[in-house]
Amino acid sequence: MTSIIETNQLILMILSVGLFISTLEYIKKIQIFSPTGLLSWNVMQLRWEKKDHNSFFSPMFKLFNEKGLAIIFGLRCLIILGLLFYPLETTYGWILVGLLGCSLLASSMITFYGSDGSDQMNMLIIITLFLCHSPLVEGTRLATLGLWFIGLQTCLSYTVAGIAKLVSKEWRASTAIKDVFSTKTYGSRWAAVLLKKYPGINVFLCWNVMIMETLFPLCLILPFNYALIFIIWGFIFHLLTAIIMGLNSFFWSFMAAYPALFYINHQIQHLF
Amino acid sequence: MASPTDISTIYESIIASILGIWFLLTILCQFRYTKFSGYIRHTVDVFGLIPLWTFFAPNPGKSDYHLLYRDKIDEDIHGDWEEMDITEERSLWSWCWNPDKRDKKILADVIQSLVASIPHYKGDKGYDLLMFSMPYLIVLHAVSHCKCNSGSVQRQFMLAETSGYLKETSPSVILLSVFHQI
Repeated sequence: MTSIIETNQLILMILSVGLFISTLEYIKKIQIFSPTGLLSWNVMQLRWEKKDHNSFFSPMFKLFNEKGLAIIFGLRCLIILGLLFYPLETTYGWILVGLLGCSLLASSMITFYGSDGSDQMNMLIIITLFLCHSPLVEGTRLATLGLWFIGLQTCLSYTVAGIAKLVSKEWRASTAIKDVFSTKTYGSRWAAVLLKKYPGINVFLCWNVMIMETLFPLCLILPFNYALIFIIWGFIFHLLTAIIMGLNSFFWSFMAAYPALFYINHQIQHLF
Repeated sequence: MASPTDISTIYESIIASILGIWFLLTILCQFRYTKFSGYIRHTVDVFGLIPLWTFFAPNPGKSDYHLLYRDKIDEDIHGDWEEMDITEERSLWSWCWNPDKRDKKILADVIQSLVASIPHYKGDKGYDLLMFSMPYLIVLHAVSHCKCNSGSVQRQFMLAETSGYLKETSPSVILLSVFHQI
């Protein structure tokens, strides 16, 4: 069984890869935060009430422009590079994770529109790692609790997505995946044509996603060989959504949570 | 005086409570249409820490959204519709490098938010008030900064949806704005 320190470090490493790519993508698209961009602060500040402009958030508002956010994203890249040299268990590593969390919280205030589940998963994991690895704490109890929190949130994410699909008429009618794949935003021409030509694949994919997502928490309690089925399914699922739908950041943020699932599964098997 | 062990235990209890509450709130906020969920999401959760895990469900996103605009040249003459380049096909590398997904997601979120808010503005002057909603202002702000060749000072925008590659349904208009001073 992998040690708790190695598990947490692995989570941080996988997450860092995705976060580095995602941050560089934001830097490439920095003009969306310019005064003429889609997320210009001129408009986004309307989300905040007048009283908020005098709150402790207000100094951050000055950073919400092209230049300020470029600095935040640039610093975030440097912090991620710094984590290559300072593991989470060191004080410097812990401080870097804290700074990474602060940069994610700051940018989340202006990316109200446009952020997705992978951004939320990244934030959730980073904050958990920071809170559960404080140098104030002795022993590994809190680090274990952090892994349980990450693992349970991951299972919840799949189950909620699975149940929401099961109650959807379009998913049960097995048209949903073909419809999504036929969009230019989340699909691919070859995938849409393939699914139109072979409707059976569409039925298989829709029900496969609905059933596996709903039952995903079983990976925590099943014997490891059976739990591995869910883990491999999740890996293939996220790889395919990255290739076909362009959801590259989901792959990294969800894969980062998988070592926590391994850890919990081993712990449960050890208990019973 | 508290020993390091006491401090460690107190800290552990606080963090365990925070994580417990966070997890509980996440479960409760998966019911997106409840008052409680709306309050937490829109008033308390300024950092977006409470995720909504209903990916592509219950309504799978089956449309591509388009944002078009045109200028008023004079009372009866309008310029051609121009489209903001947002719904472009993805490159071969989008599985590992996909910066364009951000624009598309912003526009999709804004349009979904706009469409969801339209019923709240039904009534005599209701649709006029829609113009003061945040998603409407985001779209207007974006189109008003697009290049203007006609020298016009008035611009109108249109939100439209298409069904992508298979073209199984006809393109349709979601919203046609009035002309705005730019």
